[in-house]
Amino acid sequence: MRYVLRKIGLLLLTLWAAVTLNFFLPRMMPGSPTDAAIAKLAQNGPVSPATRAAIEAQLGVPTGNIGDQYVTYLGNVLTLDFGVSYTFFPQSVSELVLTALPWTLVMVGVVTIVAFVLGTLLGVLAAWKRGTFLDSLPTLTGTFTSAFPYFWTALLLLFFLGYVLQWFPTSGAYSARATPNLSLEFIADAAYHAVLPAVTILITSLGGWILGMRNTMINTLGDDYVTFAEANGLAPRAVALKYAARNAILPNLTGFGLALGGVVGGSLLVERVFNYPGVGYLLYNAVTNQDFPLMQALFLMITVSVLVANFIVDVLYGYLDPRTRR
Amino acid sequence: MQRRRRSRWPLFGSALGVAVLLATSACTVDVPTEDDNNDGGGADGTSMLLAADNGSPTFERNFNPYSPGKRTTTTLIYEPLFVTNTLDGTETPFLASEKEQPDPATVIFTIREDVTWSDGEEFTPDDVVFTFDLLKEFPALDTNGVWALIESIEVDGQDVVIHLTGDNVPAAAIIQKTIIVPEHLWADVEDPTTYTNEDPVGTGPYALGEFTPNEYTLERNEDYWQVENVAAQELILPASNTQLDVVNNGYDWAYAFMSDVENTWVAAAEGNTYWFPPGGTIALFPNLTMAPFDNPEFRLGLSAALDRDRIAEVAEEGYVDAAGMSGLLLPNQEAFLNPDLPDGGAVAQDVDAALAHFEAAGYTMSGDQLVDSAGTPLALTLTTPNGWTDWLRGATEVQTQLAAVGIEVTLNQPQPAAYQQELQNGNFQLSMGSFGGTGSIYEDYNRLLSSEFLQPVGTTTTANFQRYSDPDTDALLAELRVTLDEARQLEIAHELQTIMFEQAPVISMFYGGLWGLFSEANFTGWPSAEDPYASPATWDANPLLVLTNIEAAG
Repeated sequence: MRYVLRKIGLLLLTLWAAVTLNFFLPRMMPGSPTDAAIAKLAQNGPVSPATRAAIEAQLGVPTGNIGDQYVTYLGNVLTLDFGVSYTFFPQSVSELVLTALPWTLVMVGVVTIVAFVLGTLLGVLAAWKRGTFLDSLPTLTGTFTSAFPYFWTALLLLFFLGYVLQWFPTSGAYSARATPNLSLEFIADAAYHAVLPAVTILITSLGGWILGMRNTMINTLGDDYVTFAEANGLAPRAVALKYAARNAILPNLTGFGLALGGVVGGSLLVERVFNYPGVGYLLYNAVTNQDFPLMQALFLMITVSVLVANFIVDVLYGYLDPRTRR
Repeated sequence: MQRRRRSRWPLFGSALGVAVLLATSACTVDVPTEDDNNDGGGADGTSMLLAADNGSPTFERNFNPYSPGKRTTTTLIYEPLFVTNTLDGTETPFLASEKEQPDPATVIFTIREDVTWSDGEEFTPDDVVFTFDLLKEFPALDTNGVWALIESIEVDGQDVVIHLTGDNVPAAAIIQKTIIVPEHLWADVEDPTTYTNEDPVGTGPYALGEFTPNEYTLERNEDYWQVENVAAQELILPASNTQLDVVNNGYDWAYAFMSDVENTWVAAAEGNTYWFPPGGTIALFPNLTMAPFDNPEFRLGLSAALDRDRIAEVAEEGYVDAAGMSGLLLPNQEAFLNPDLPDGGAVAQDVDAALAHFEAAGYTMSGDQLVDSAGTPLALTLTTPNGWTDWLRGATEVQTQLAAVGIEVTLNQPQPAAYQQELQNGNFQLSMGSFGGTGSIYEDYNRLLSSEFLQPVGTTTTANFQRYSDPDTDALLAELRVTLDEARQLEIAHELQTIMFEQAPVISMFYGGLWGLFSEANFTGWPSAEDPYASPATWDANPLLVLTNIEAAG
């Protein structure tokens, strides 16, 4: 119990630090939200001097003592009130985040789980069949694809499968005329639109799981208790899964916890390339438009989910491996 | 009426064919042509696919015409009093049928009769006055700053009489851009600054049809006062308008810079055309508060050192022309050009002339470096916003060309917001910048040259970023503001061009293009070099001109 309490204390401390950083970082960026808005307008032609005054008045850009701002901000964070977005004025930040979140959670979330399960299984297989074709194929491909940059893979898929072959839609999360609902038809449509971004993430993340699992598994396979189990004449499958894999999976599980926490942040570049209306794209918009309220809400959400995932993994680990509790 | 969108599932065979083709020709990629997907506007040909509004990545339902986050097409639902063709300043009456300026401090708009709001209510001069009063009550809505110009406003029969704060002839052009909203609906809006106006009611040619986050439609307003001029029955506006979408989906009108436009856009479908007229001038803004830029000789030296054709070619793939030093957009504003300017204001690269100017400014060549009298080599920093790739290519070319006359140029690339801040605060040596393109000679030169915007370095200014100050120029601008005499207006325009040419307050390089992509498959009569009645821009009031001028094809 003391172990868990200590971890909770640490969690709260990191949360406070994250919240505080979150407040100061955007304010240290050069340029104001008004400047960002004007820079955007300026790309379409000259901006009249009067426009600046009107934009400033409309956005209600924070003014006054930074200490007071910080106190107000802390209060708002506690009540989950993040105010109004500058970019999507006058939409509220919470509304925007809630619209974007499901897309990311489902698309990135499902892919993360699939990649983890598939990659781990392939890793077990590769280690068990070490030296054979079943080892070299996934290992080599994994090494290769895990080195692909996300956006590059996304652009390749977009160009060949989306544009040249036209097998999949090139942008969006669902068809143009559809309104999000829970009908089977819509879900199928959404799944179809999710294929390219999902495959992008799968291709680039699968290799990591395979290699990680394979390498720890090979270590475990050399351990005496595995040899002992084999010598006792247990079925190879039981030895592989119940003895070796069960212990070898620990590091991968840590990674999985963190990856799940990271899902909330979305995959910025993938979502940007495919115009996918998730949290990653929202974050991109927030940062490029110096949208403080939106940025703060998103960064906070990402930090909190990663911290909480980290905390859960920590606690879980404490039970799975008592040595860490010391 | 609804346009069928191309099926995403092509024949497997053809896909296999392309795959084989890809495998055999590693570096050439066969892109699909439009044969298989140009289903046109349907049999009636009156549905238009338009890339005019970009969801980021989906649409928010906001049709408040004064909101910065409004849907771009809000200006097709609402109308202003007059629409100005920003290319050359010509004006077309919309909600006002006429305007008159009996003296430089008064503007009288005669409001059009027999116009109704799309909910059937009658449009009256009271709506106009209500709108202006609304902008006065909520300055955050007043994006054109009309209440800096207006003293008072009143209805006189069918006329709306506007008394200005002083003699101000160009004010009418700004005031008439104001978008008019209905009093009977907006009078009840509690806070119009945060109002999203989800079901807009306007006087314009279109009314909102279906709305989804990924796409919406605008349907023709059948009671529109000039409905006979509106050819497109329905406008379809998808949220995603990437260049791939634009080429793939057979748009009728798109606004997008398209690399290699002949082989991408034009080749994609029968009838695809484009027109890229100049919409502003991209220039080097020297910080005139510091040496050596405070010396006109030095600025003229920079000007003579540049090969503008080459810069335009490198920056914009040759789609726009090099800009002369007159400050005018040519050929749009040819009518205002001072005939006494040599070569119409164009400056050809002349290294000898450049070195002579530099020498007059106190800099001489020493080896391959330009040095001041103390022998210190000249080094400059050029600021350009990060991510604006065309400007960056232009800036890199400037860097190369100035290196050839011995000037070392370092590029500084802050994020756009920071760039904007540095520009406004005068925190730069040389900066890429743009000016012009409002359609008003007075507005263009005033924002560029007037000392009314003058602020010390470190203090934000909203115009005249290079911080130019000259009493003669101010006097000309002041006179241009109050004179109703058109001959005198033209004379002043000529004199201002001479100042631009001789003083080089900014060093014009090339035109910023307006990237209009059109398809003549379903509609004809798009604006073009031969008939430049409007700009290809898809925002503000300009589409009102285009959509009331085009005709259904065949």
